[in-house]
Amino acid sequence: MQVHITGTMVLQVVVSGLLVGGLYALVALGLSLVFGVMRVINVAHGTFLMLGAYVTFWLFDLYGLNPFLSILVSVPVLFAVGAVLQRLLVFRVVNAPELSSLLLTFGISIVLANMAMLAWTADYRSVEFLTGSFVIGQIAVSKPRLISFVTALVITALAFVFLHKTRTGKAIRATSQHREVAQVCGINVGRIDLVTFGLGAGLAAAGGSLVSVMFAVYPEMGQVYVFKSFLVIVLGGAGNYPGAFFGGLLLGVVEGLASLFLTAQLTEVVAYILLVLVLLLRPQGLLGGRI
Amino acid sequence: MKRPTNATVQLGAALTALALLGLAAPAAAQELRIGASISLTGTYAKPGKYTQEGYLLCEKDINDKGGLLGKKVKFVVYDDKSEPPTAIKLYEKLITEDKVELVMGPYSSPVTNAASTVSEKYKKLMMASLAATTSIWERGYKYLFMTISPAEVYLEGLVELAVERGLKTIAVINEDTLFSKAAASGTIELAKKKGMQVVFHEAYPKGTTDFTPILIKIKSLNPDVIAAGSYFDDAVATTRQMKELDINPKMYGVTVGGDLPEFYQLLGKTAEFVYGSSQWESHLPYPGIKEFVESYTKMWNREPAYHAAAAYGACQVFAEAIKRANSIDSDKLREELLKLKMTTAFGDYAVDERGFQIAHKMVLHQWQNGKKVTVWPANVADGKPAFPTPPWNAR
Repeated sequence: MQVHITGTMVLQVVVSGLLVGGLYALVALGLSLVFGVMRVINVAHGTFLMLGAYVTFWLFDLYGLNPFLSILVSVPVLFAVGAVLQRLLVFRVVNAPELSSLLLTFGISIVLANMAMLAWTADYRSVEFLTGSFVIGQIAVSKPRLISFVTALVITALAFVFLHKTRTGKAIRATSQHREVAQVCGINVGRIDLVTFGLGAGLAAAGGSLVSVMFAVYPEMGQVYVFKSFLVIVLGGAGNYPGAFFGGLLLGVVEGLASLFLTAQLTEVVAYILLVLVLLLRPQGLLGGRI
Repeated sequence: MKRPTNATVQLGAALTALALLGLAAPAAAQELRIGASISLTGTYAKPGKYTQEGYLLCEKDINDKGGLLGKKVKFVVYDDKSEPPTAIKLYEKLITEDKVELVMGPYSSPVTNAASTVSEKYKKLMMASLAATTSIWERGYKYLFMTISPAEVYLEGLVELAVERGLKTIAVINEDTLFSKAAASGTIELAKKKGMQVVFHEAYPKGTTDFTPILIKIKSLNPDVIAAGSYFDDAVATTRQMKELDINPKMYGVTVGGDLPEFYQLLGKTAEFVYGSSQWESHLPYPGIKEFVESYTKMWNREPAYHAAAAYGACQVFAEAIKRANSIDSDKLREELLKLKMTTAFGDYAVDERGFQIAHKMVLHQWQNGKKVTVWPANVADGKPAFPTPPWNAR
């Protein structure tokens, strides 16, 4: 039997692609920030996401805390974890060749994932369920996805305001633009690195809290999102935050449409062809430039 | 008299130990040692542990009844770290260095696939307890026997029930990995054989989270049945998104994942009416199952999962074949295992000429009011399927 693709179907896929894309964008933002400021490729980003999801799970399981509210806890907790890791380990590879940061953060991710497995086992954990959708015309908008999309949007906007309006935020951007000059101008670059890495981990944690409401929580849950995040920041332009946001939405929609018109197996092929095209035609990313 | 020096004491201790070892050697001849590598660490650590526990309970039960061929049975188990290459080394050691009398299988298809190359090389018969991949038995091996049902029949019950109720069309989706693919292709073949029309089949890559495109394509075809060859995360996501997109098949079943309690915890009422399949349940009316569950719970302080039951059942089948052959010779055992038909606490056992399992039945269950109710096959069911699945807006 032949599937006949209608306009409504396309619209439905675009809507759900945008909703998924918002989450991709949030997760990618942290990765992009860390890379922009410190030139560190943080493979452990997905592990931070996983830890954030566990914070949400335990708060829900032990105290019944609303998983969306628990973002207020998971972000600071992972900010602290990120800052400590930066102080102990990551500062050694800032501005070092990229391979060093790859190896280091890969090691960190293995250690953290295995510690999580030892402490909490590899069992699937689950947080409160929120199911169903709002139906607008003929388009279904998933409730949990809509809430997580809006939350992701708010957090991204807050991060954006922070980067543009506050002193620390401006210092982060300055460091990202030129480390040495920033230092000469009296910016404590070491402290900025600390804040940035913590912030990156915190953004991953926020993503983790949102993911935990829709999917199972387990030590290896973060991997998928790291790969997607790399894709997103290359699409949007490394170190360019509005670009990461745009890249996230784009990836969500492209994946959906590829799956609709071709088959689901080809979604990754299409996503990576897009990546190659962007690298060939617009290597600075679709929006290009820094910040 | 001089006091013995430290060195003399050590020498004496070593000699005593040697003497003891010498004494122990003839004692070993009174034992039948069954060698196996099991994943006690690594990815499969948890089901691996269940497998070992099943073996050890079987060892205890056999010895309580006087052993086998007049000897005590003893399992020799090493940890293969969930790695097929390690299992190869360990079976090599078990067979050539330890010279164990018998071997049984490790946990999982990939590890069994690797380990059986060694047992086959030495013509040592391996009773595989936890390998479900058909291709392992398509290599023409003579000394490898299967216990659990293959991936292809996981959703046999779903198709059977659908046909019984006169349903005509089925859509099949699966994760693009070895097990799920086999489960989906088995389901498709079965459905076609039973006269159903397969209107849609699509695989999705591991890690897919948004199933909207696949699901709205299915929705436009409006099939009677949706079957998913899934693991856990994807089973949860498709179920959830089917509700969001208001897709209403008369029956919807998943392979793996649907039988875990976490499935219901995560989905709550959304999981109602979903069919899932499993190799074994503790309430099934198999002979000896009550005793098995009781003694397992007593020995290990928790309820057995299917892995433990399969390991235990495989070991019981093996013991029966040894009794009948009155020998541990691989060729004689092979003859008996090919002929043997029996029912253990794990269910039926019978194999074809490849040693491939053909009798063991999967069971299909359905989530009803938060409980897993076994609805197929009819002779072991403890409830009726709630049919048809009501549309989402009528729940």
